[in-house]
Amino acid sequence: MKNLENSLKSLLEERYHHKHPFNIRMHKGTLTKEEMKTWVRNRYYYQTRIPKKDSSILTKSDDPDFRRDWVRRVRDHDGDEKNTGGLELWLRLGDGVGLNRAEVSSLTNVLPGVRRACDAYVEFVNGHSLLESVAASLTELSAGPLMGQRITAFENYYTWIEPSALDYFRSRTSQAPRDAQEGLEFVLGNAKTDKDHVACVAALTRKCEILWELLDGVEWAQSRPKIVDRARMRKNESMIVLPERAIELNSTGMEILESCNGEATVNKIAEVMRNRHNTIETVFTDTYEFLEKMKSAGALEYI
Amino acid sequence: MNENFHRPYNLIAELTYRCPLKCPYCSNPLDLTNYTETLTTEDWCSAFEQAAKLGVVHLGLTGGEPSTRSDLEVLVKHASELQLYTHLVTAGMPIDAKRLAVLAKYGLCSVQLSVQDSTPEMSDTIAGTKSFDRKRVFAEEVRALDLPLVLNVVLHRQNLENLPEIISMASYYGAHRLELANTQYHGWALKNRAALLPTLDQLKNASRVVQDSRLLYPEMEILFVLPDYYSERPKPCMGGWAQNTMVITPNGRVLPCHNAGTLTELEFWRIPENSLEDCWTISPGMNTFRGYEWMKDPCRSCEYRERDFGGCRCQAFALTGDMNATDPACSLSPHHPEIEKARDESIQSAPSFVYRDSAKKTGGQI
Ligand code: SF4
Ligand code: SF4
Repeated sequence: MKNLENSLKSLLEERYHHKHPFNIRMHKGTLTKEEMKTWVRNRYYYQTRIPKKDSSILTKSDDPDFRRDWVRRVRDHDGDEKNTGGLELWLRLGDGVGLNRAEVSSLTNVLPGVRRACDAYVEFVNGHSLLESVAASLTELSAGPLMGQRITAFENYYTWIEPSALDYFRSRTSQAPRDAQEGLEFVLGNAKTDKDHVACVAALTRKCEILWELLDGVEWAQSRPKIVDRARMRKNESMIVLPERAIELNSTGMEILESCNGEATVNKIAEVMRNRHNTIETVFTDTYEFLEKMKSAGALEYI
Repeated sequence: MNENFHRPYNLIAELTYRCPLKCPYCSNPLDLTNYTETLTTEDWCSAFEQAAKLGVVHLGLTGGEPSTRSDLEVLVKHASELQLYTHLVTAGMPIDAKRLAVLAKYGLCSVQLSVQDSTPEMSDTIAGTKSFDRKRVFAEEVRALDLPLVLNVVLHRQNLENLPEIISMASYYGAHRLELANTQYHGWALKNRAALLPTLDQLKNASRVVQDSRLLYPEMEILFVLPDYYSERPKPCMGGWAQNTMVITPNGRVLPCHNAGTLTELEFWRIPENSLEDCWTISPGMNTFRGYEWMKDPCRSCEYRERDFGGCRCQAFALTGDMNATDPACSLSPHHPEIEKARDESIQSAPSFVYRDSAKKTGGQI
């Protein structure tokens, strides 16, 4: 059994998102205000998926004792009463960095890569066994120590954020290790065969990938789309022509492409679009989607 | 223009059937010697002008080998003055760096280079001509001019094993796109089908290689689809017969695809005797398979008909003698056993190639 525990822990050492460049920069204090806001706003989507995946885990167990313990995780996030709990604390972090609460909680402006990563986690749990789902949650083994570093970093470098906004991180420093310990005991007690071991390692690997992809998704907002040199615009026809295809665009598409000058970030382009089209509720996601589509059509590169 | 007008977005200009290579899967007609290049420089220039007016955006200059024509520079210059996105489809010879630079100056937009395989020995054997080294240098010349490069490699049973090397070669050449084209069994390729048709195992392996490579080379678009001989449904032809693409042959025939000339019962019109617009909109051949009226069962009542248009007319004709038939590549076709038989035979060893060069009747076993 020691073996499995070691494999899981060294896997985390290798692949947990503490090594992701975005996280490293966060803890070094070099994130801009804009980057911080993008992260807080988008990571909220992940927070909202947690009680859903934990509820899904509950449905997989036949053991009342297990469920009694595990349901606490749902309550930790949702709170025993309205306006308490982890989700509320995250929204306060959002207030603290200057985000509009209604916008954050509406979940409408989530970056596409972040949304895909978070949804993939819920889907993973829905489609896998109880044992694998609990194994996937074991990233919490590394979450406790990470929270400690994070609080120090925030207090030292991001002094523009109210200390009270950091209550979410503080709550996790005690919750995460306790949850992780329970999860670990369950996994070590229930992974009996070699096949189980392999499945647990695979599940935790997938989870690490998902957290990594989440931060990739956040970084995308800071990348600078540029129309590839090989493209030719036919402005009078609103068309972009590439060696292998011609794409006809509507006027909004043309507007977005015209902003893709290799200088403006995805974030800035989306903001400009919102200022111009503030009656369209989905303007952010529409812009993101369009940028992704143009990238896969070969019309854009990111620099 | 009436409401039934289909805007042609692409013009494929087959400037010539001359070519220094002799690929055994060439899609040019088998009776090459019966063709003469009748279109003059002025004819082509006029065709480009008419095409631009009809709404054409992309112009592919192809052949044969388009650089065997000495007026290529004039044609490129004229096309780019018309704002056409001009794409040169070449084997990389006899064109040289100096000519390429002139074409770039005249507004050539991109270049597609065909390579036959990943090593000089294999590539030259398939091409039937020493050409691999020249192609490598040509790719460098293209990239040195900052022209976008598409690499096209026709896949078949003799080169599928080298797919990983082919992909890394494309990336090394600086291609932004790699087209892994399956051999289409028309013309020369149908003659050589037994030597070319891959086995299912080869194809499964190739799909895996392509999937991995998309991760390894994220900046290069890799095009790869299962050949129709191995999929249950036929390939949709050109986005529909005479919907968005026209081909002009070296002697001025205007076709909906480069193989449609094999449909001997159809009447297509020529430039310059007719206007390009008439060739496209009212020639009887162009209209034969537009829409769904012509279909017989099983296509007529099939839910897939708007997706694959009943498959390839040329393949239906070549394999069944009836150009209105369902493409035999479709598992619902009564002629499908013919395809299955070819697949079964592919498991046996491959015979020699018949090279496109008519003087040389059999090629070496490779
Ligand atoms: S029957 Fe015709 S329309 Fe249906 S899938 Fe086959 S080829 Fe396509
Ligand atoms: S009819 Fe056949 S040969 Fe012609 S384009 Fe369609 S698929 Fe290709």
